Amino acid sequence: MSDLAKVQEWMATLLRHERALPLDAVVREDASRHIAGNDRLTPAEQLEIYREQFWLRHTASLVEDFPGLSGILGQEDWERLVEGYLGEVAPTSWSLRDLGDRLPAYVERCDWLEHHELAVDMARLEWRYIEIFDAKDASRLEAARVAAVPQEAWRNARMRVAPAVAFLDVRYPVVELRRKLRMASKNPVPIPERQPAHLVLHRGSDHNLRYTEVSAVESALLRLLHQGEPLLPACEAVAERFPDDTAVIQASIGRWFHEWARREWIVDVESL
Amino acid sequence: MGEEYSPAMHAPRLGQPDLGVGIGLRVPHYPAIFRRRPKVDFFEVISENFMVGGGKPRHHLDRVLENYPVVLHGVSMGIGGPSPPSREYLNELRDLVRYTKAAWVTDHLCFSGARGVHLHDLLPLPFAEEAVRVVVERARAVQDHLEVPFALENTSSYLTFTASTMAEWDFVSEIVERADIGILFDVNNVYVNAYNHGFDPFEFVRAIPHERIVQVHVAGHTNLGKYIVDTHRGPVIEPVWDLYRETIELAGPVSTIVEWDDEIPPLDVVLAEAERARGIRDDALGVRESSVRGIPEERRVPLLARETLPDDDRPWIQGGPRDAAFDEISTRSE
Repeated sequence: MSDLAKVQEWMATLLRHERALPLDAVVREDASRHIAGNDRLTPAEQLEIYREQFWLRHTASLVEDFPGLSGILGQEDWERLVEGYLGEVAPTSWSLRDLGDRLPAYVERCDWLEHHELAVDMARLEWRYIEIFDAKDASRLEAARVAAVPQEAWRNARMRVAPAVAFLDVRYPVVELRRKLRMASKNPVPIPERQPAHLVLHRGSDHNLRYTEVSAVESALLRLLHQGEPLLPACEAVAERFPDDTAVIQASIGRWFHEWARREWIVDVESL
Repeated sequence: MGEEYSPAMHAPRLGQPDLGVGIGLRVPHYPAIFRRRPKVDFFEVISENFMVGGGKPRHHLDRVLENYPVVLHGVSMGIGGPSPPSREYLNELRDLVRYTKAAWVTDHLCFSGARGVHLHDLLPLPFAEEAVRVVVERARAVQDHLEVPFALENTSSYLTFTASTMAEWDFVSEIVERADIGILFDVNNVYVNAYNHGFDPFEFVRAIPHERIVQVHVAGHTNLGKYIVDTHRGPVIEPVWDLYRETIELAGPVSTIVEWDDEIPPLDVVLAEAERARGIRDDALGVRESSVRGIPEERRVPLLARETLPDDDRPWIQGGPRDAAFDEISTRSE
């Protein structure tokens, strides 16, 4: 490794330290070897400017992207969570947008959190929002495209779900809670009761984010279609999983498809 | 054997157009920009904010592109780091260049992390031959890859390395000459570094190859007494305008951007700052024409005599806030 790379690795490692660098005698000694310092700041103090900024910048970015999660946790637990996350999960993407990509999984492991399940739901919701917010655009499914699919081809037709659609099962009404937390000034927002739901999160062609609560059956079918399962096998798999709802699936599939296309969840049909 | 052809020998700004005076495109200004379509010569956009699939960021970019030229300014390339910029990053950047038809692309003379960790900061490099060699090789490759002229910005810094063997201006000059790339000359960064590291900022301004300056940045900063932080907060201070004036006198008409990234004021305030830049630029070009150059010594403000502020505990993030996911709309499944 070159001398330049060695200094850079040394510096990059130190900047993620959780404690102030000038307090550490070893760091002070190393810093004085690599950094010049001046009559106003010691080498370690100069390095400390960057370390402080690492934490301020990344914490601010996470607060901006996860207002619901930080609102649930409160200052003390949020700081502990972020310190742990940034300490354990180093940022690897060139974009700050991706900083929270592993936060939902990290929150899952943090069972010390007071409202743990709620926090997990909120972290998942907020990361999904980030994902669909700037996902690829897709054109609306045209009626002519649907009409061009031969009747006999529908059984094995594959639906293409829009890139800006995400599916999320939650145990708490986190969408509503997030909105309240973002709007609340100093008034406390009560923790809601459990209220499991299957959500479809979607960015429309107007670029606004939408959420729609769907039934467990509809959610399961959409997920299979999203995974590339052809229409009939997907319906059969869902019917097997929800045997009491077989008639519902048969009766609703046409109407559902129409709705999914209208809502721009389904943007193409590929007939084999 | 004759000297190799270099555009720098023949044309100012490496032959790039003078786009006039513009401002950095920032999210809080979108409503005013789209409603009023203000008179701005061009916008500088933060590349990474638009290297996404679609949605609002690209929609907003499209609306800007309908009415204004843009140039791209990156904050994440980390060209001097232990590893070269990733191919994936460069491919996405090239896609954005083609999409925006940007005349040139800029990033910073810095590193941003190591061992796969990205610190999202503009970390300084030692001013030494090894760093020159590393950056020169990569800058050439980046310029070839992007298929448009590439320029590096002199970066603000809060430390210098014991391994440095040359002045910052020599470091910058050596790199841009050997890589045959442009300079995005940030005169505020010159001021910040002159204060933080104790040198004459005018020496920096005079020493760099002026024909390689394709763009200039002016911005505010935050003086904490012991050091200045390049926050891009607040108006440009007089000594920085002096450096800008001197730069234009030496380099001629160069595309200029006003950056304002923190405590972002209403658009009109930033536009007024751009008009200030335009006025100074026009004056400096007039002086340049008359060949009477230089800022009188008595007009210069001593570097260490600036107002000091209390400790700053806010992050500085180049480019201001990102477009972000906020309000969601409920719809009912039918």
